[in-house]
Amino acid sequence: MTATRLALAAAVATGLALPAAAQPIPDHPDKLAFRPIDFTVPRASDYRVTLRNGMVAYAAEDRTLPLVNISILIRTGSYLEPPGKEGLAALTGSLIRRGGTKSLTAEQLDEKLDFLAAQASTGIGDTQGSAGLNCLSDNLDESLRIFVEMLKEPRFQEDRLALAKEQILQEMKKRNDDAADIERREWNVLLYGEKHLTNRFSTAASISSITRDDLVAFHRKWFHPGSMIAAVSGAFDRPEMIRRLEAAFAAWPGARPVVPPVPSEIAPAAPGLYRIEKDVPQGRVSLGLPTVKRDDPDIYALEVMNEILGGSGFTSRITRTVRSNEGLAYSAGSGIRFGIYYPGVFRAAFQSKSRTVTYALQLVLEEIRKMREGQVTEEELDTIKKNLIETLPSTFASKAQTVAVFASDEFTGRDPSFWPRYRERIAAVTAADVQRVAQKDLDPSKLAVLVVGNQKEIDLGDGAHAVRLEELAPQHQVKVLPLRDPLTMKMP
Amino acid sequence: MNTFRRSGALVVLLCAGSLAAAEKPRIDVQELTLANGMRFLLFERHESPTVAAGWLAHVGSVNEREGITGISHLFEHMMFKGTKTIGTRDIQADLRIIDEQEKIQEEMRREMDLMREKLRRGEIDDVQKPESWTPRYRELQKRFEELVAQQRQIIIKDQLDQIYTKNGGENLNAGTTEDFTLYFIRLPSNRLELWAWLESDRLLNPVFREFYSERDVVFEERRMRTESTPLGKYDEAFNALFWEAHPYKWPVVGWPSDIPSISKAEADAYFATYYAPNNLTGVIVGDVKVAEVRPLLERYFGRIPRGPKDPPPVVTLEPRQLGEKRYNAEAETSPTVRIAWHGVPFVHRDFSVLDVLTDVLSGRTGRLYKGLVVGKQLANEVSASVDSKKYAGAIELAAVVKDGKEPAAAEQALYDELERLKNEPVPAEELQKVKNQAKANAYRRLSSPFSIAVQLLSYDGLGDWRYINTYADQVDAVTAADLQRAARQYFTRETRTVGVFLRKEGAPAEDPEVAALPPEAQAMVKQNLQRILAETDPAKLREGIARMQAAAAQAPAEMRAAVDLIVKRAQQRLAALESGKK
Repeated sequence: MTATRLALAAAVATGLALPAAAQPIPDHPDKLAFRPIDFTVPRASDYRVTLRNGMVAYAAEDRTLPLVNISILIRTGSYLEPPGKEGLAALTGSLIRRGGTKSLTAEQLDEKLDFLAAQASTGIGDTQGSAGLNCLSDNLDESLRIFVEMLKEPRFQEDRLALAKEQILQEMKKRNDDAADIERREWNVLLYGEKHLTNRFSTAASISSITRDDLVAFHRKWFHPGSMIAAVSGAFDRPEMIRRLEAAFAAWPGARPVVPPVPSEIAPAAPGLYRIEKDVPQGRVSLGLPTVKRDDPDIYALEVMNEILGGSGFTSRITRTVRSNEGLAYSAGSGIRFGIYYPGVFRAAFQSKSRTVTYALQLVLEEIRKMREGQVTEEELDTIKKNLIETLPSTFASKAQTVAVFASDEFTGRDPSFWPRYRERIAAVTAADVQRVAQKDLDPSKLAVLVVGNQKEIDLGDGAHAVRLEELAPQHQVKVLPLRDPLTMKMP
Repeated sequence: MNTFRRSGALVVLLCAGSLAAAEKPRIDVQELTLANGMRFLLFERHESPTVAAGWLAHVGSVNEREGITGISHLFEHMMFKGTKTIGTRDIQADLRIIDEQEKIQEEMRREMDLMREKLRRGEIDDVQKPESWTPRYRELQKRFEELVAQQRQIIIKDQLDQIYTKNGGENLNAGTTEDFTLYFIRLPSNRLELWAWLESDRLLNPVFREFYSERDVVFEERRMRTESTPLGKYDEAFNALFWEAHPYKWPVVGWPSDIPSISKAEADAYFATYYAPNNLTGVIVGDVKVAEVRPLLERYFGRIPRGPKDPPPVVTLEPRQLGEKRYNAEAETSPTVRIAWHGVPFVHRDFSVLDVLTDVLSGRTGRLYKGLVVGKQLANEVSASVDSKKYAGAIELAAVVKDGKEPAAAEQALYDELERLKNEPVPAEELQKVKNQAKANAYRRLSSPFSIAVQLLSYDGLGDWRYINTYADQVDAVTAADLQRAARQYFTRETRTVGVFLRKEGAPAEDPEVAALPPEAQAMVKQNLQRILAETDPAKLREGIARMQAAAAQAPAEMRAAVDLIVKRAQQRLAALESGKK
């Protein structure tokens, strides 16, 4: 890192030589020349340390501001909840922070942290738990002591659990209020199936059944330093910080848990058009299909393909056609996410007034078809590859980001050559590669299309384009989905 | 390596080992004013080879009037449509087509006047619906579309975005508020000259091509943010009730009737007045040298001529409210009480007092949470916030009422907390807690060059960029007596606007297949479908299906579809039962 920084400093210093007035302004920006930036990807091993209790930490000194930031990932997740206790993982995650510690009541814990101006947070998602602390460096010792006590010996105060359950039950009633929430939820069900770990919905019954004992057991079972990876950065002396972490996380009760692997199976819905009624003036449309996992060699070509199709804003085809040319949507584009434990997703989406939903969908399907039938232009390919290559330094823009990336990579088992070789692998993608992966992984007959909105208005169309929504259904399959009951998540 | 020591730019930097939060969170921003009046704020930060750059026009919806509400925001979109160089293959032909398009649009506006007349007479119900349009209007629209198609042959779509993308640009975007419009991006630091080229070009030589399709995009944005969200329209109505005279009363995105009526000529006049360099502030934060940046800015932005006169001032002041206002509504949301009082502008000496006052009320150790959520158990969520804009401000408290509790009780409990603030000084430790947090947050705000750049612009737009450095000191200076005085002064009964929202249960989801049947068949079908769903015996279902299929043959034509639907649903139910689902 130091060498890189010095090289940069030298480049900046030797930059402008001519006096300003002598330089004319070129008539086109293509005529500007830029001195190169020499950026070396940081190395994970420069930051990594294993503590005696098995905990791994990535630590970096950064004295820009008198703050310390600690982010910890924990091997746990909602996929480990016992059946019938859906919502237990999230409740446990939230109550570790909100429910006090062995020596402090919930009120005392909140007061102490607030007085120290320390921000502490905990949570448990589908496939990982997380805990974060951001504090002033001059009260690091006290903040860290409280933070670790919270993770190690949470009190799970009964009244705070009761309050959290009440808040969740009220929030649950809002599940069908916003068309965007309905779309997000049902899209994920279409993509991965009702039984997938990301679709384990809490219900009024499951939340009501959760007791303090459940939280205590879930925490005891999964929280152990041997299951944690930390990213630590800020105003500290690195060896001293490592000693602090050693001491803070020592003497943890229990043994390191054996965490079952995250299941890899998915059960996507049959291709087709799925319609959900919601009385809003704008229809919301998602279309796509499961895609590859992160270890697939085609991810670079797929990333470039998606950027050109709909992933790079105005530079991409879907945004240009649907928004910029036709004015049919404010938001229109596509995204691709490669799976870690199970297949990822390609999804195109837009929102358009009810009457133009069908026409806009036709345009998006047309763009997908073109992606498969012809090659992208050299100009498109060049623009996207340069962007992906030039923006790589932003991933490592600060020490906090750098150690967070490495901690997450180790947690999820990313190929260590991913960052060092990223730029060359992107640079190697050809127009033929892009077409090949589009043909392989973007088969229109395999798409699920979800339309949430005022279905009668949508069927009226815009009067100018003859196509009907149902004619666009993949495999000619059309299914009307009723709204789920928000408290049971059952469909009527 | 301490990147700040090299530049000597940050006051917080100290030698290693003696870092102390006792120092002030303060950054050494350099100011530059060009001869044409354009100001720049410059700050070096070297941890990454990138630069955050942007500029702000001191114009927002506050500078609009009824009839053109939303024009500032529409403008923000138009600034991405290119210039005489960027976005076209043939500027002469392009300008000629734009002229012709304007002539047709002028005729369309006259036709729209006639349609509004029909609306007033009750002959149509919405001028935006295609079926309301006059034949002449449709004809004009067709001709307009032809010109758009012609123009598409010579324009280079979204070229500004493409050039930035190719050069490693990220987060290219813009935003509009009541008070300002800002444009920003993050780039590799060696591309700063590219930024200067493209940005000064779009200020000097803009061409507002594709004006009318972009107007449609903006309307879709309104549909997305305001009309299709559970609370968008209610927030808009509440805001319009709160302000009586002040131009803050209309939404930034504009009223739905105004957006489609804004003409390009109005936009041109708007640009000439508000986008002159004497009404702009630029910002550059990142891995650059201020000494090298200065001549670059002079060269590129210095060539833009100063506007003939400064934009007109905003003179309308909100009259003092004389009586409480109430807004009762049913919406798809949890029961909520929100109460707004009139506050102060951003640069007002009481702004930080109100900021601390709401901090005392906010958060999990704040008074509202302790009082309403944990204590009286009337609410599940509470909040308190100050919204100080450039010319005026508001203070708002809100509570999401627990199921089974009365909104009126939650409302009273909010007032009770305010009475306590009026009657008893805030204890020293409680006040110190808020000040500690303000100081730590002042550092946290400086954590990325991009966020520093956006904050500098925003604070400048609100009246003073120095707030980024004075925030912690201003908060530190607030006393318990200030808080008590402010509580008494601002939280008065007659100046409040109270919104009470009750949950509107969404209409029971209508089964679209049933709704498509003839009305006389629907009740019968619904009854049958309920019975089918309740049936758990596959044998009985099979029997029923056979019976209905036999009946279907004899059913009158108009009932055929109904019987078919029942059979289909019964078969689906049967399949579900047999596959082991419920």
